[in-house]
Amino acid sequence: MSVLNKTAAVIVTFNRSGKLMKVLDALAAQTMRPDIVLVVDNASTDDTAELVEARARDDGSIRHLRLPRNVGGAGGFHAGMKAAFQMGAQYFWISDDDAYPEPNAIERLHDALTGFQSENGWRPSFACSRVEWIDGSLCEMNCPRPVWDWARFVQPGKPWALLDSCSFVSVMIPRWAVAEHGLPIADYFIWFDDAEYTRRIARSYPGIFVPESRVIHDTPDNRGVNFGLVDDKSLWKFKYGARNETSFRRREGGLINVLAYAYGVRGQMRAGDVPHRLRRQIYGAILKGLSFRPKIERA
Amino acid sequence: MHMSPKASSKPVDSTASSELGDQIAEMRAIYERIFPTQHLRYVLRLGENAIWSHPEVLEGVHVPGPHDMGAQFLGMIDRPGANADAPEVTIKIAVPRQALPYELKQTDAPWKPQARLGRLFAANPMAYEYIRYQAEIRRKKRSRKFQSTALPLGEGTDLLPKPQRPASDKRPAALIGMHWLETGGAEKLGFDSIRWALESGLRVFVVASVASIQRLAHKLPDHPDVTFIRLDRWLPHHLWPRFVEKLVLDENITLVHNHHCIPLYETLPLLRSRLPWVKTLDSTHIVEHADGGYPRTSGVWSNYLDMQHVISRELVGYLRDGFNAPSGRVVLGRMLDRAEDDAPAPELRLKTGQKTLHVAFIGRMYYQKRPIVAVETLRALDAWATRNGVEFSATMVGEGPFEGAVTRLLRRYGLGGKVVQMPGNADVPALLGRSDILILPSNNEGLALVCYEAIAHGCIPISTRVGAQDELLPDELLVPLAPHATVRQTVFAVDRMWHDNGFLQRQKDGLAQRWRQLSDDPTAEEVLKPVYRAAAETVQGN
Repeated sequence: MSVLNKTAAVIVTFNRSGKLMKVLDALAAQTMRPDIVLVVDNASTDDTAELVEARARDDGSIRHLRLPRNVGGAGGFHAGMKAAFQMGAQYFWISDDDAYPEPNAIERLHDALTGFQSENGWRPSFACSRVEWIDGSLCEMNCPRPVWDWARFVQPGKPWALLDSCSFVSVMIPRWAVAEHGLPIADYFIWFDDAEYTRRIARSYPGIFVPESRVIHDTPDNRGVNFGLVDDKSLWKFKYGARNETSFRRREGGLINVLAYAYGVRGQMRAGDVPHRLRRQIYGAILKGLSFRPKIERA
Repeated sequence: MHMSPKASSKPVDSTASSELGDQIAEMRAIYERIFPTQHLRYVLRLGENAIWSHPEVLEGVHVPGPHDMGAQFLGMIDRPGANADAPEVTIKIAVPRQALPYELKQTDAPWKPQARLGRLFAANPMAYEYIRYQAEIRRKKRSRKFQSTALPLGEGTDLLPKPQRPASDKRPAALIGMHWLETGGAEKLGFDSIRWALESGLRVFVVASVASIQRLAHKLPDHPDVTFIRLDRWLPHHLWPRFVEKLVLDENITLVHNHHCIPLYETLPLLRSRLPWVKTLDSTHIVEHADGGYPRTSGVWSNYLDMQHVISRELVGYLRDGFNAPSGRVVLGRMLDRAEDDAPAPELRLKTGQKTLHVAFIGRMYYQKRPIVAVETLRALDAWATRNGVEFSATMVGEGPFEGAVTRLLRRYGLGGKVVQMPGNADVPALLGRSDILILPSNNEGLALVCYEAIAHGCIPISTRVGAQDELLPDELLVPLAPHATVRQTVFAVDRMWHDNGFLQRQKDGLAQRWRQLSDDPTAEEVLKPVYRAAAETVQGN
C-alpha cells in the first residue's frame, strides 16, 4: 500500500558545481518530482554554495545542507539520509552529483517498488536504476549484484530481478528500511558504504533492479572496481575500499571470510601486475580493516 | 519552466485507497458504538505493524502536538457530537500495514535454542531438553502463589432496584469471545460453538482478544448472522467492557460465551451489575503455565459465570475442589462427535512380531508438543526397529517455530528418508488409518483429541502422563514427562507390545474400555446447544 509518497532526493557533492547543476536540472524535469532535493555539500570550495542557494531561492524543494568539513561520500549520504528521515520522507532517492536521471527515472523506481509489493506481497528494500555511461553502455562500477534466485519474479513488462546490493547511484529506499536497519556508516568515508548498506537492508527482503528507470553517470572513464586497476592515483580510494570491505566481512562472516577476500584481492592484483609497493599498502588496509569496527547509527 | 507535481501529490492507486477506506470504516464502527453522542476526533497515522493499531483514547479536550503529526501522519477525521456541548474524545490510532507473505504464513519466528545453550543443543539436544524440562518443573512449582479462590459476588438487596432488560426489536444474539482465530484446540471448539449458536437460532458476534493476522477468519460461517468485530486490532482492552455494554444493548445479546478471551472475563462485573439478564459461560481445556492458565482464570471468576464448561473430568475436579464452584455449574462436555461415537470400539492394528512399524506424531510445532523429544523418540524407535528386523517409517504432521529445527535434526540423525514431514492441513484420519503408533510426548495437554481420533482409526497412542490423558490411556501407555524417560519408556512400551501378546491385548482392551467410557460422556455440543437454544428463545423480562 502506498498512501504516503513524500520523496527526498539526497545528492552528495564536492567541488563539481557544473555537473551538480545538470543533476538539479534533471530532477526539476522529473515526472515525479521529489518533494525535497537535499544537496549535501561536503564543504566544497568552488561556487557550489552560491549556485545551490541561488537555485533554492526559486525552487522551494531544494535544501542546501553544507557540512563543516569533507566527510566523504559515506559521511555525506549518512548526513543526508538522516536529515531527510527527520524531514519525514517516505522514500529516499540517493545519487551522486554526476548522475543525470532520465525524466521518468524516479517515478519508475517508485512504481516498481509499490507495484512489486502489490503483485507479490513482499516489500523490496530498495529499487535501483540501470546506470549507463555517457556513451549508453552499462556503467561498469554501478552494476548491481543479484541474489541467487534473482529471476523469481521476473516477467515480461516487469523485469525486476532481485538484488543483494547496488551502488548509491539512483537507488530508491523506502522509509521502513531506514527505520528498521539504520543509516549508512559514516566512518567508511568513501567506497563500500553503498554495498554494505544495501546488503544490510536486503536482510529484510532483497532489492530490485528496475531497468526501465535509467540514469547517465558522467564519469571520466568507464572502469569497474577491480584491485587489478590500482595505481598511484587511485590507491587512496582502493585502500578505503579494502579496509571497509574487510571490516564488513569480519562482522558478517568472520576471519575465514576475510581470508577468502584477501585471497581474491591478491589474485586480482597479481593478474593486474600491480606494483608490489602498492600491493603492500592494500594488504595494510586489509589488516587495518580487521580492527575497524564502525558503529551503525539508527535513524 | 513547467514543473510536474511533487511525489507527495501522486494520486493513490484505487486498491490502496479502498483498503485504507475499509480499515478506517471498520475502526470507526467500533468507536462510534462506544461513543455515540460524543464529538470524536480521529488522528490517523500509517502503522508500522501489520496487526495492531496502537490506539490511544483521550477523553476530554486534546490539543494536537508535534508527536501527533509525524512522518506517518495520515490526517484527521472529525465526527461531530450529538450537540454542540458534546464532550470531546480523541482517538489517536495507526492503520496497520499489509501483512507480508512470511507473516501470513507464520506468526512466530523460527525457534532457536537460548543463546547461551546453543552449543549444548548442537552437541546434545536431549541435554538441552532436560534443562528446559527442569525449568518447566520449577515454573509449575511457582504456580502456588497465584490466586486460587473465587472472587466473591454479592447478590445485593431487593430494596434497591435491579436493572431490567430493555425491549429490542432484534432477534437474540450471542457474543462469542475467542483467544484468536488461529489453529488450536480451543479455537476448534470456538468455531464449533459459533456454528451451534447459529444453528440454535442466535445471531452471533465474534471477538478475539489477541491481535493477530486471524488466519482462520475465513472459516467463520459465511452467513449474514455472523459478524466478526475486530476489537483485537482496534480497541485497547480497558475499553472492552464499555464496548460490550453497548453491543449487548444495541444487538439484544442474551449470552456471552468465553473461549479463552481474557478481556471478556474483565467485562463480567459490568455484565453482572448492569446487564444481569445476560447468560455468561466459558469453556476451558487445560491447566497450563505457572499461573494455571485459563481454568484458573475461570475458577477465579466462578461466581460471575452461569456455566463453566470443561472437556475433562480432571477439570471438573479442579474447578469444584479448587474454587468451590457449585457442582451444577461445572459441566463436562467432551470435544467429541456423537454421530461417530455410536460406532463399535475400533480394531487396533498393531500385532505382536509384525514386520513393519509406522509411527505418527501430530501436533503444532511448539514447545508444548515437545517436537525435539518426538524426534529423539523416533530415532530411538528406529534403532529398536533395526535391532528387531522391523521396517520403520514415521510421519510428523504440524507447522510452527520448531519446524526448521525438527527438519535439521531428522537430517542429522539420518532419518530424512524414513520420516516424512507434512503440513498442518494434512489428511490426519488417513494418516492415523495407516499408522500403528501415535506418539504424544507433550509437556502439557488437556485431553488430546488426537489420541481419541487415533484409537478410532485403529492406532495405539502413547502419551506423556499429563493433564487428563489418563482418562483415555491405560497406565502402561502413559510415559513419564522427563525427556530421557519419555523416550526410554515409549520404546519400552512398543517393545513390550511387539514381544508380549498378552500385554498388547491388555492395552487394546484398556483403550477400548476407556474409549467407550469417554463416548458415553456428554459431548460439548450436547451441553452447549440447549443453553444456546434457551438464549435464543428468551424474551424481554426473562
